[in-house]
Amino acid sequence: MRPFRIVLVGYGPVGARFAEELLPGLRNGRIALTVVGAETADPYNRVLVAEHAVGAVGLDSMLIADPDALRDAGARVLTGVAARRVDRAARTVELADGERIGYDRLVLATGARANIPTLDGVDRPRRDAGTLERFGDRLIGADDPLPAGVTALRDLEDAARVREAVTAGARIVVLGAGVLGLEIALAAAHAGAQVCVVHHGPHPMPRNLDRGGGTVLGRALRRTGVSVIAHSRAEAIAFRDDADGRRRFDMLVTADGKQIRGDLLLLSCGVTARSELATLAGLRTAGGIVVDEGLASWTDPAVHAIGDCAHVVPRGTEPAAGGGLPGAPSGLIGPGWRQAEWLAAQLSEEAGAGAGASGADAVDAVMPPEREPVVMLKAEHVDVVAAGRVDAEPWDDPADGTAVAQWADPEHHRYVKMVTAEGRLTGFVSVGMPRTAAELTLLFERGDELPADRSLLLRFDGPDHDPAAAADAFAPATTVCWCNAVTVERIEASAACGAASVADVGRDTRAGTGCGGCKGRIAEVLARFAETGGAPSQVG
Amino acid sequence: MTTLAEPSVVPQHAAATATHCPYCALQCAMTLTPAAGRAVPVEVAPRDFPTNRGGLCKKGWTSAELLGGAGRLTAPLVRGADGRFTETGWDEALDLVARGIRRTRLEHGADAVGVFGGGGLTNEKAYLLGKFARIAVGTSRIDYNGRFCMSSAAAAGSRAFGLDRGLPFPVEDLDGASTILLLGTNVAETMPPFAGHLAGAQSAGGLIVVDPRRTPTARLAGDGAGLHVQPTPGSDLALLLGITHVVFAEGLVDEGYLAARTSGARGLRRSVAAWWPERTASVTGVPAATIRAVARRLASRPAGDAGTAGRPAGGTYILTGRGVEQHIDGTDTATAAINLALALGLPGTPGSGYGTLTGQGNGQGGREHGQKADQLPGYRKITDPAARAHLAAVWGVPEASIPGPGVPAVELLASLGRPGGVRTLLVHGSNLVVSAPNAASVRSGLGRLDLLVVCDFFLSETAALADVVLPVRQWAEEEGTMTSLEGRVIRRLRAVAAPDGVRDELQILAELARRLDAPSAWPDEPRAVFEELRLASEGGIADYSGIDYGLLDAGEAAHWPYPRGSTGTPRLFADRFAHPDGLARIVSVARHPHPEREAAAARLTLVTGRLLEHYQSGAQTRRVAELRDAQPVARITLHPATAEAHGIADGDPIELGNDRGRVRGLASLSTDIRPDTLFAPFHYPGDETANLVTSDAVDPVSSMPEFKTAAVTVRRIIVEAG
Repeated sequence: MRPFRIVLVGYGPVGARFAEELLPGLRNGRIALTVVGAETADPYNRVLVAEHAVGAVGLDSMLIADPDALRDAGARVLTGVAARRVDRAARTVELADGERIGYDRLVLATGARANIPTLDGVDRPRRDAGTLERFGDRLIGADDPLPAGVTALRDLEDAARVREAVTAGARIVVLGAGVLGLEIALAAAHAGAQVCVVHHGPHPMPRNLDRGGGTVLGRALRRTGVSVIAHSRAEAIAFRDDADGRRRFDMLVTADGKQIRGDLLLLSCGVTARSELATLAGLRTAGGIVVDEGLASWTDPAVHAIGDCAHVVPRGTEPAAGGGLPGAPSGLIGPGWRQAEWLAAQLSEEAGAGAGASGADAVDAVMPPEREPVVMLKAEHVDVVAAGRVDAEPWDDPADGTAVAQWADPEHHRYVKMVTAEGRLTGFVSVGMPRTAAELTLLFERGDELPADRSLLLRFDGPDHDPAAAADAFAPATTVCWCNAVTVERIEASAACGAASVADVGRDTRAGTGCGGCKGRIAEVLARFAETGGAPSQVG
Repeated sequence: MTTLAEPSVVPQHAAATATHCPYCALQCAMTLTPAAGRAVPVEVAPRDFPTNRGGLCKKGWTSAELLGGAGRLTAPLVRGADGRFTETGWDEALDLVARGIRRTRLEHGADAVGVFGGGGLTNEKAYLLGKFARIAVGTSRIDYNGRFCMSSAAAAGSRAFGLDRGLPFPVEDLDGASTILLLGTNVAETMPPFAGHLAGAQSAGGLIVVDPRRTPTARLAGDGAGLHVQPTPGSDLALLLGITHVVFAEGLVDEGYLAARTSGARGLRRSVAAWWPERTASVTGVPAATIRAVARRLASRPAGDAGTAGRPAGGTYILTGRGVEQHIDGTDTATAAINLALALGLPGTPGSGYGTLTGQGNGQGGREHGQKADQLPGYRKITDPAARAHLAAVWGVPEASIPGPGVPAVELLASLGRPGGVRTLLVHGSNLVVSAPNAASVRSGLGRLDLLVVCDFFLSETAALADVVLPVRQWAEEEGTMTSLEGRVIRRLRAVAAPDGVRDELQILAELARRLDAPSAWPDEPRAVFEELRLASEGGIADYSGIDYGLLDAGEAAHWPYPRGSTGTPRLFADRFAHPDGLARIVSVARHPHPEREAAAARLTLVTGRLLEHYQSGAQTRRVAELRDAQPVARITLHPATAEAHGIADGDPIELGNDRGRVRGLASLSTDIRPDTLFAPFHYPGDETANLVTSDAVDPVSSMPEFKTAAVTVRRIIVEAG
């Protein structure tokens, strides 16, 4: 029986996870895997690109998979070569070098590219089917060309451009105040660059935060030295000529006429799925390659998509009033990894069950629905976590059962909002409260009920969180010697009976006769007892 | 701080006996002085020794109470046709046991006889028990309660270093550390005098305690002494991967060490790349900033140079305990701790290291000399032909007569009374129905046996179910050796005579071997058994061949390996690890979702553990009045918010339940515990047995059961009057 042939196009973090999960099937010969990756570097963790861009993380520590391990298991791993075309009828993938590779299942993990906003001065190539037919070789797997001094932040080349600017202490203008834009802004500012964030909303992270959280975050950003220009729609960029005669970015011009000068413009305006290969192959695309809950293409069950290029929509869903299918790729790594694991398990099972020839028998199983993602700002000095819908306010009419609890302390850059339905979180925002944020994250992901006293969750970050710290060290029932479980009361009783030294107390009560760590405390209790003339400790 | 003379100095006179505490692996030194005319025949005084430095905890101070006789078994008990125990003579009892073994062996094969040992037995008893099972009975079915204790750390240590010795350095080395990371261990309660060795790290502000509870140990990190990290139960592996991620990402790794002393670092770096701090935070509940802070502190080790301004002078130690090891991914979690230590260049570096804190008194020696299903004396693999040949020669038996590997504890217990399983079981130094996971199923397994024989000094909950109970000597009545948590072999000395009618287990085994017409010699004196153990261990990993009683009695600090002609090994790994290539092996590990926790959304997680006052199943400590009165019943700790949500007040009787069973106790409300976590001590019998709800799912490598993550529901119960 010939092995089940899987071709994976895209060897980023999601593709790499998918391939790794196939290792058992590769080793037992049930699966034949070909990996086609356009980048030459080993798969790396794109989540760390911002930290890499400011020099905080080396490439070594971003590498997430080992192609040699795949090769050892029998996979064919091709890097630095793009897939150019898919022949669905023949079930082959054609590579840029002309080679055709047959598949039983094709898995597209082509990811996403940075979104280039409409700006005077920046060209945006079209990627519709007609254009792709004519210019596909130039457009598939390629990023949009950007003028000098303008960059996105998606891959290692982008990171190198940013690093150059950071190293030079340059002025960096970040366009966009989403999570990724803020992460690079904070990291670059921390590394010594002058950073200005320009965005058109009222506050940063508008997709994730409510007004309160966004406002507190904006203040926290300014405190760390990142200037923020809100309510500003970017319209154009202007160029200057460098000494070497090259035209490069000079300033960003906003719709209301602001001119924001800088050395580097960093575009952080979201991402777009890389779905050209699918478009060209006649597969349905929307926010990405449209796949059902089994991660199979609506158009062709032998083709799957996972990660940033996959737009998961239940089969048969009607387009919304606006025209498009609901939802979009999440753009987050967690859901991509879960898709990779789930699909690999499905295909492994199919291969092991002796399928192999017919890919048409799509697996019926569907992936469990994703919880709404928790969004965390990766930054060292600003702590922001949010999830779910957070626009409800405490005084809203609670007709739908939604309840809101809120804590705002903008002066100290702290803000928490918990939105609940029947006691369970449906959304939350936490700014400047790291321990609270971590607990809320766990509660949200598990769907656990919140404590009735919501303020309990705020106290995790308070200085009084350790009750022992505030407790009376001389209260009668306070344990002094843990080794022998001896209390203040017992030591005082010993003193009252004549014990005058730590050694006396030890002989009488065994306090201090274990690890000895409490001898100082015993001496304090004795001294206090002597001072108060033997008055019992509870009087006060 | 006052540093007066120890209150413990007791004049040494001829009749005083210098020995060690009967309980934990710290093996605190104590002196027993005869106390004529008292109910308790000796008086306990602490003795200066590197592990306890003249200190004792409450358990040690009161340990002699058990020598007083109350409740002591003094004659063999045999269950009659009426179901009641009758005292019998020794010959009659031993004949009965030997006949039972023979019958089971004849009808069902030798593997239908099982032997279950304990980590509290002396080296001599542990050794002879393994030999008895394999040579006198001919069964492969032997394992011990250390499987519930040290097996994950042992598997991880052997895999990484080629050798498993709990602490590969003397305990006092910790005194000089400026940073100590304690993972899942509550030493302040479980081995209190150990806490004294944390003082250096405390004063350097570098004691980091990872525990879902703010235990007394976690409190030691308060007031600027360090940091308490409070992850949600079962997320330790993710936390370690996250800390290791920061170590790599921020260039804190000791590249020279990794290159020179390890293999597999490349895979490790890649395996942690996916665990950036924020992702780790979302799984563990530990803030990203804390994860970074821990990594940076651990790496602040100045590799041997003197401390300069702003930099601590001492090294860094990482120590694990049962809290992170008693899981279905316990081996991988211990491995992740080891990998972190290796990335930082700690193991084998002077003043730094990794270790696991052995729990039971002889948990170390107990796992070295043949009680484990897959091992022969000297920490040898039972599948290794050279090891088998060596033992065959020492024992004077054909190699082929030594059985192959048996099955680990949980599997052995699951087979009780089942087709193809164990039908006659001998239990030594273990109180299974309290200490084994999924205790109700163990209890019913014991009920299916043809013959259950229990050796104990009290009628423990397990002994109470036996067909034959053989009364044995305890601690101060016997001689032998123990191997402490630092791999140091120490002497246990006889201070008092055992009551009439009580026998040493060595004698019992020798007598049974004779009745079974066993080949080989069966010495029944500790010294003679130790001499045989020396030969048996010679050339093995845990080589005791250079140690003898005379040397130990002279006070030599004998750390194994101690080959004949050497002076022992206080510090391991200085030049090489124990793998043939001398390198430490880095095995990359991954976190998988926990089946029980993930499936049980919105339920609470029970963690189990120990109290200061009690030891293990409480079979001994619950009989000491002072300890029992301090902790008479099981108190289950829960957060006030959790209690409020369930209508529970402090002191209420409550019940925890899941598919396996129900456990009862009194509610103890405390903000020291996470709201999603409950804590129950596992020392109590009957319906307070915490292990009625723990899972017998096991780690695939070590066969360690999942003690620490049981999903449970909680409710207040109304106790009926009368």
